[in-house]
Amino acid sequence: MLARLKRTGALWLLLLPMLLWIGLLFVLPHIKLFLLSFQDRYTGAFTLKNYATFFTSPLYRGVFIHTVEYSILTTLVTLAIAFPAAFVVTKVLSERAKALVVIAIILPYWVSELIQAFTWMVIFRETGILSYTLRALGITRHNIEFLYHNWTVMVGLVYTSLLFMVIPILNSLETLDDSLIEASYDLGGDFWSTMKEIIIPHSMPGIMVGSIMVFMLVLGNYVTVTLLGGKNSLWFTENIYNQFIVRFNQNQGAAFSVILLTFSVLFVWALLKITKQDLSEAM
Amino acid sequence: MAQEIDVSLVNVTKKFGDLVAVDNVSFDVPKGSFFSLLGPSGSGKTTILRMIAGFEVPTSGDIYIGGQRVNDVPPNKRPCNMVFQRLALFPMMNVLDNVMYGLRRRGGMSKKEMERLANDALARVGLAGLGKRRIHQLSGGQQQRVALARSLVLDPTVLLLDEPLASLDLKLRQAMKLELKRLQERLGTTFIYITHDQTVAIAMSDTIAVINKGRIEQIASPEELYRRPATHFVASFVGENNILTEGRLVRQVDDQVGEVEMGGILMQGRIGEPMKPGDKVDLFVRPEMILLQPGKHSPGILGKVSEINFDGSHSLIVVDLLESQRPLSINVKVQHTEQAPEVHVGDVVTLSWNWGAGNIFHHVPLQEA
Ligand SMILES: Nc1ncnc2c1ncn2[C@@H]1O[C@H](COP(=O)(O)OP(=O)(O)OP(=O)(O)O)[C@@H](O)[C@H]1O
Ligand SMILES: [Mg+2]
Repeated sequence: MLARLKRTGALWLLLLPMLLWIGLLFVLPHIKLFLLSFQDRYTGAFTLKNYATFFTSPLYRGVFIHTVEYSILTTLVTLAIAFPAAFVVTKVLSERAKALVVIAIILPYWVSELIQAFTWMVIFRETGILSYTLRALGITRHNIEFLYHNWTVMVGLVYTSLLFMVIPILNSLETLDDSLIEASYDLGGDFWSTMKEIIIPHSMPGIMVGSIMVFMLVLGNYVTVTLLGGKNSLWFTENIYNQFIVRFNQNQGAAFSVILLTFSVLFVWALLKITKQDLSEAM
Repeated sequence: MAQEIDVSLVNVTKKFGDLVAVDNVSFDVPKGSFFSLLGPSGSGKTTILRMIAGFEVPTSGDIYIGGQRVNDVPPNKRPCNMVFQRLALFPMMNVLDNVMYGLRRRGGMSKKEMERLANDALARVGLAGLGKRRIHQLSGGQQQRVALARSLVLDPTVLLLDEPLASLDLKLRQAMKLELKRLQERLGTTFIYITHDQTVAIAMSDTIAVINKGRIEQIASPEELYRRPATHFVASFVGENNILTEGRLVRQVDDQVGEVEMGGILMQGRIGEPMKPGDKVDLFVRPEMILLQPGKHSPGILGKVSEINFDGSHSLIVVDLLESQRPLSINVKVQHTEQAPEVHVGDVVTLSWNWGAGNIFHHVPLQEA
């Protein structure tokens, strides 16, 4: 049946809705964005000015570098939390406990990122739960503002990203035959050598997929970053927002968007190259 | 001279919740011997092996390796290595790295030295030069050998093998069977080998422990097991056997030989367990130990050939007994030699056997056997 579908090209028909979806909502707008980024704001003539603004302004460059640094850091922190959790869930817990933990991980995602961020605000703000608790315990004498710090933003970002890291790693660990772990012990391995030589190499595709997804999501995050970081968040997406919405400078905003997109694509590509992972294999 | 004992289990029991997987098992494995655990699926073989390797802790009882109690020794510190039922080769490494894995964990050796040892081990199992291959680029039999080399390179006191041949096709299994036996003899390493295939166990082992429902039924040499099974289960599980059920013990000729009445016919066999005249018994008779003569002879049991299954060097002849009060038939295995009688379906024949070819046990209903 599949052979016939292939021959008649009917298989393409099945792909059509998705191709349309991607075409209309992703490719077309990005072409438009790309064109806009090379146009003068007033005359519409071809110009590299929008890109020059970025590369000559220490401010924009600084924000960009800060964003990339923190995205990498957030990804690493998320990985550091997600991997042990996924390992325990797949290799240690009983079936029942496993289901409970997975639900506990998924549950927060039933509410939107916006609500999640508000929850963090309730905890972190000057009159919030954390500040109140510290004061009630006598650890501090005054209310403390926990919001608008880099680390607060990171807590929120890690939280919203966790699921996207855990699920692919869970999947890759599920396929790891327990007898491989036992064989490693049998041959004299201990916990760390087994981790390093057997478990991590086996789950590398899952780690890569998770890291790529989280990195992209964090790099392009807006909601959590602005709500928890406020004006000081120094996130590059805020610059893009400002150009489009506050300054009505579509062309500058488009240039920033293209820079961000190009960078993340190149970054991921380089990462896969360095770690010798194949994207088709990793996905 | 007292034999040196490499592995010893003393009253070992393992429970999983309510299930008693291994029930009060004791045995000694002499140094340098090929010891098999033979039993049907689910009888507890793997559980015993995993306790020796250290992956399961006995609920009660003690395990000794090389004279030392190892109950509390973790698997990575025990002087034994395991070849897993599904091999468990590391797919993320090439063949050489798989074999070097244990050496690397042990440390204290230059990389060159480790590579030399690993290549030696590969050569020993007939895989010289394949070190750079990936695991999935090997055939089933080759993977089998890598798993062996990976354990052997560590020169373990005891090698544990969990049905390593089960996944191979028949021909390869026969070949590997002989090779394994030869390897074991050459190295002098103690092998503890699990199988549910009695032909494999009989062909390779010095000693076989037959295990059923977590309990040891008999520990003996293959020949002993074959000639003098200790229990009803062993008689029905090891080797081909005719089983004639629900007879009656007529008398004990002497302390070894018994006479059984089966459907009105008297037959002889070895008394397998304590019993008294009048007991309800089953008689096992080895098909290849029965003498078949064309025509009527006396003494002997008269029958008619109902089926002949030709099998190259042998024929399996099914004979329906003519003088029994209930339908009984006996399989006879006849080797094709110059003198072998030629028989055809429908021929009247006479069967007879020495009492040693038969074994008598108390009757066990089929579903319990
Ligand atoms: N981890 C476990 N938890 C609960 N029950 C188990 C566990 N491991 C084994 N069992 C049970 O113990 C019994 C013996 O199992 P075991 O694997 O030792 O059998 P086996 O003789 O190796 O069988 P096979 O020839 O099929 O491999 C079985 O009934 C099995 O279901
Ligand atoms: Mg088993």
